[in-house]
Amino acid sequence: MTTALPSPYEAPELYDLALEGFRDDLAFWLDEARAAAPAPGPSARVLEVSCGTGRVLLHLLAHGIVADGVDLSDSMLARLAAKAKARGLEPRLYHADMRDFTTPERYRRVFIPFNGFAHCETIEDQLRCLQCCREHLEPGGSVVVDMSYPGLAYWLDTRTDRVLEVESRHPETGHPVRMWDTRRKDRVAQLQHSLVEIEELDALGGVARTHRFETRQRWVYPFELELLFRLAGYDRWQILGGWDRRPLEVDGGQMLAFAWKAG
Amino acid sequence: MEGPRASLRRLSPVPYTDPYHDAALYDLVYAKVRDDIPFYLSLARQAGGPVLEIACGTGRVMIPILEAGVEIHGLDLDPHMLAELRRKAAARGLEARTYQGDMRDFTMPGRYRLVIVPFRAFLHMESSDDQIRALLCMREHLEPGGLLALNVFYPAFETLRDKDGVRWRSIEVTDPESGRPIEVYDVSRYDRVRQQLTVARDVIQRKEPGSETVTRLGFSLRWIYRFEMELLLRAAGFARVEILGGFDRRPLTRDTDEMVVQAWRD
Repeated sequence: MTTALPSPYEAPELYDLALEGFRDDLAFWLDEARAAAPAPGPSARVLEVSCGTGRVLLHLLAHGIVADGVDLSDSMLARLAAKAKARGLEPRLYHADMRDFTTPERYRRVFIPFNGFAHCETIEDQLRCLQCCREHLEPGGSVVVDMSYPGLAYWLDTRTDRVLEVESRHPETGHPVRMWDTRRKDRVAQLQHSLVEIEELDALGGVARTHRFETRQRWVYPFELELLFRLAGYDRWQILGGWDRRPLEVDGGQMLAFAWKAG
Repeated sequence: MEGPRASLRRLSPVPYTDPYHDAALYDLVYAKVRDDIPFYLSLARQAGGPVLEIACGTGRVMIPILEAGVEIHGLDLDPHMLAELRRKAAARGLEARTYQGDMRDFTMPGRYRLVIVPFRAFLHMESSDDQIRALLCMREHLEPGGLLALNVFYPAFETLRDKDGVRWRSIEVTDPESGRPIEVYDVSRYDRVRQQLTVARDVIQRKEPGSETVTRLGFSLRWIYRFEMELLLRAAGFARVEILGGFDRRPLTRDTDEMVVQAWRD
């Protein structure tokens, strides 16, 4: 993939300004990690793939979960390590591609939260990633993938002007930070190209600084995801429709996909 | 979860029959569909035979291939359709070799250079398991290097929005006997999570002035997205796959394109 502008992962401080406050999925991942323990007592070891600056990983660690992280971006991992250190945490972090990583451990759970799997843009990428996750699972362990469902309303939204995706507040200044997204969608290639603009506002509400990035996401449909699990050698799978574990009944929300390695 | 039959029943108290029971009516309704014939005929000529057509129905595609002198065998689940095919072929002085069977589980005596599944018939496979079983079975029946060719619709998103639950006239043809119009009205339901289209269809015939016959038909199809199609073919062991956007072999670029699939056995 080639883009003219940098990836948002090259600016981890700005990424965190916009997205660190997202908490809707945290309880789900903590529950999953806790459920991975075979019996009450010490936590099972879990791996987060595409852990970024640690929004999920630090939450797990703070609750006593033994969690390792894999990410492709050095700058994101550096920020994660600094945040962890400030909290007295020392996670094992691996700078590696989600399609081809190696850690010495085997895990009860491997997590790919927050559309991280959308960075796999081809069937080859997707299968290599899921196979690599499977190799790092203990027998009976599972990979859990959280992906947005590319529903009809999403595809029919053909606006070409920018959409406000997140508005948060700067933790130091208290001034608003806005993340805008200008999207180009390819319905057949299941791709979204995003021009991401992060604006830092001043005390008067004017735009003090604008930072521009580009990124792409490759969406998957539920049956497609099941076929990927099948081809990557998983034993069985299930897809739920939200972090509250509701059944998958509408297109357009989240897909929480679980796939188990044979026990 | 409710199955497609239940939702059909809810639309009307009148029982629906499958569209393949009345083979003569089927032919009247689809009389105008010819745009796929040059594509499949050309593949059949290139293969030179033997060709297997899955879901051959009344022979809309198979008879032109027979007329071209290419050896072709036809498989279909419905005996009414096959009887109509043999009758039509015989009327043209041709002998149609037909086999009644399920595309998920059939055994033919020979192997083929070309297997074709025209006119979206593969969408009758309504689960991943059925889809893969059918593709495995088709692959089994190909000679090494043989070609599987099929076409299915790509789900056009504006159609999913505009036609869902709306009664609309989907087809209008002229009855060659009476010279009067035959009108087809559909109510389509799109289950977007199950990728299932359920159609309740009224075929209205006016054989004489003032009289009107309504035949109620019902069927369901499971649509397939592009990468899903590739994965299904991989799961069935096809190593080389090409997905096109029309019978003119243009690339698949729009959701309104027809998905024309070619896959080769090693």
